[in-house]
Amino acid sequence: MSAPPTSRPRVRLPRPTRLQRGGLLVGAVVFLLPLVVDIPGLDPAGQRMLAIFLLAIVFWVTEAIPLVATAVLVILLQVLLLSEQAILPGSEEVLTSASVFAALADPVIVLFLGGFLIADGAAKFGLDRNLAAVLMRPFAGDARRTVLGLMLITALLSMFVSNTATTATMFAVVIPILVALPPGKARTGLALSIPVAANVGGLGTPVGSPPNAIALGQLTAMGEQVSFLGWMLLAVPLMLVVLLFAWWFLTRRYVPPGVPLDLELTADFDRSPAARLFYVVAAGTVTLWLTEPLHGISSSTVGFLPVVVLLATQVMTGDDLKVLQWPVLWLVAGGIALGSGIGASGLDVWLLGLVAWESFPVTAVVVLLAVVGLGLSTVISNSATANLLVPLAISLAAGIGTDPTAIAVVVALACSLAMALPISTPPNAIAYATGEVDTRAMASSGIVIGAVGVGLLVFGLPPLWNLLGLV
Amino acid sequence: MKLAVLILEDEPPVRDALERDLAPFRGAIRIEVAEDVDDAWAVVGEIDADDDRLALVLADHRLPGTTGVDFLVQLLADDRTRAARKVLVTGQADQADTIRAVNEAGLDRYVAKPWDPDELRAVVRNELTEHVLEHRLDPLPHLAALDAARVMVLLRDRGDR
Repeated sequence: MSAPPTSRPRVRLPRPTRLQRGGLLVGAVVFLLPLVVDIPGLDPAGQRMLAIFLLAIVFWVTEAIPLVATAVLVILLQVLLLSEQAILPGSEEVLTSASVFAALADPVIVLFLGGFLIADGAAKFGLDRNLAAVLMRPFAGDARRTVLGLMLITALLSMFVSNTATTATMFAVVIPILVALPPGKARTGLALSIPVAANVGGLGTPVGSPPNAIALGQLTAMGEQVSFLGWMLLAVPLMLVVLLFAWWFLTRRYVPPGVPLDLELTADFDRSPAARLFYVVAAGTVTLWLTEPLHGISSSTVGFLPVVVLLATQVMTGDDLKVLQWPVLWLVAGGIALGSGIGASGLDVWLLGLVAWESFPVTAVVVLLAVVGLGLSTVISNSATANLLVPLAISLAAGIGTDPTAIAVVVALACSLAMALPISTPPNAIAYATGEVDTRAMASSGIVIGAVGVGLLVFGLPPLWNLLGLV
Repeated sequence: MKLAVLILEDEPPVRDALERDLAPFRGAIRIEVAEDVDDAWAVVGEIDADDDRLALVLADHRLPGTTGVDFLVQLLADDRTRAARKVLVTGQADQADTIRAVNEAGLDRYVAKPWDPDELRAVVRNELTEHVLEHRLDPLPHLAALDAARVMVLLRDRGDR
């Protein structure tokens, strides 16, 4: 028998789109401009950081190169232009190369690493699907109740697992019942409920979605500590209200009352020793995250615990490490590096001085940032939006005399509320690809839910936080 | 990048029937037909030139001057076709041909003529799904032609953006 020749994968380079070619060109121009043109009031380090920041804006908005590539480019450029390894003469070193590279292992990246490993373990042992099956039971029978159950469970999973993975898991469960429903509105409502709940659920915890990590990382870098539980107190009220509103809106619009729907899911928990060990480690980690005020161990350190224990016990192995979403981690790291570079170079002070911010009411500035965050992340990556806007927001906080934590959290949450288009988030892209949701339905629900979410975020949350003494 | 299915069948009415039965997949995937092996290789070239990806070959066995099994064996020697799933759609392959198809061409499925259209579509959907899973392709552009619930696993490790 002739063995088939060994196959070597062919690497095909994608052809750049017109937008990407334009982005490369404009990116190069805006990068060079501050390097060759003297900008009044901005010292050389600030000018170099401005060049990097402008390049990052253009590349992240146009995706001229992949998002993660822009993130590592930001890190490299900071080393080459602003550290002791700078290749251009004539600027003081405002950063050490070690501190720039350290963004790749920032405590918040370590926290995410732990979150990712637990999420991947949950998939490996089928825990997410089994939990969904058990939790779904009280909601069986009626379509509206089923949608409520699906949304609550999706959001709950999405607080700890990436929004995308949660959506994929839930669709794998739901597609069989989706095709059993008669074609029409009820299917649309059901298929929309999952990405909406996954996007909204991501607001709930620091590990829920990358913008949260970006805000946390940059706040931590400037000495503002927000604990895991602290984040949840800030964000879960919004998450729950938006979730219930979204359920009300989607079911009134798409799911008639009294439609019988039986989602019979069978839970089949893995009872192997490895799986049991995993359950204990995952439950222990979450418990430690939620009880930080009692023991004082930071959430990052707690996040590293499952990494150590799962690897030591071989419940998870090097192979599981390899498939972690490193591009997401590095995208966040790029944002953290960008934020600290903007602070260290004095660019933040210069940006603040561009506009007489103190003449605007605080609320107007917050509304502006949240609306820009929502709008931009509707068409580009949520993480890239947060990478660009969170440092700006933190810079502005001093100028408008508001708390940096509040404004950074508001901006991060606004980035996650964008869900009006299939390209807004990967969960939306998945729902759209199922063919059950058209762009119009996604846009109308996304705009309404996003607008209500941002309205509550800007006008409802800060007073609530003040009332509770959280910020 | 579209996934392409190549139908190799020399008899026009049978070829048309196969194409017609797969018509519901049009839009989600590219469906190409060929009447002989030379024609099939020309189609392979076109698919490649368009940056599409040959995912599945449905081949008849008895062809003018050659056999479908020979063609399937040839597919393994070419970079552009090695990864394609291979299905024989025939009523005329004897035991020796079939053994050769399994052992030397890596045959994935045998569909006996006359086929049941629903069964044929199920076979195509399943083979495309296997192809996407095996090569970890992005399933979203082709989802309508795939077993959507099964390919969701590929999206799990994609990550938020």
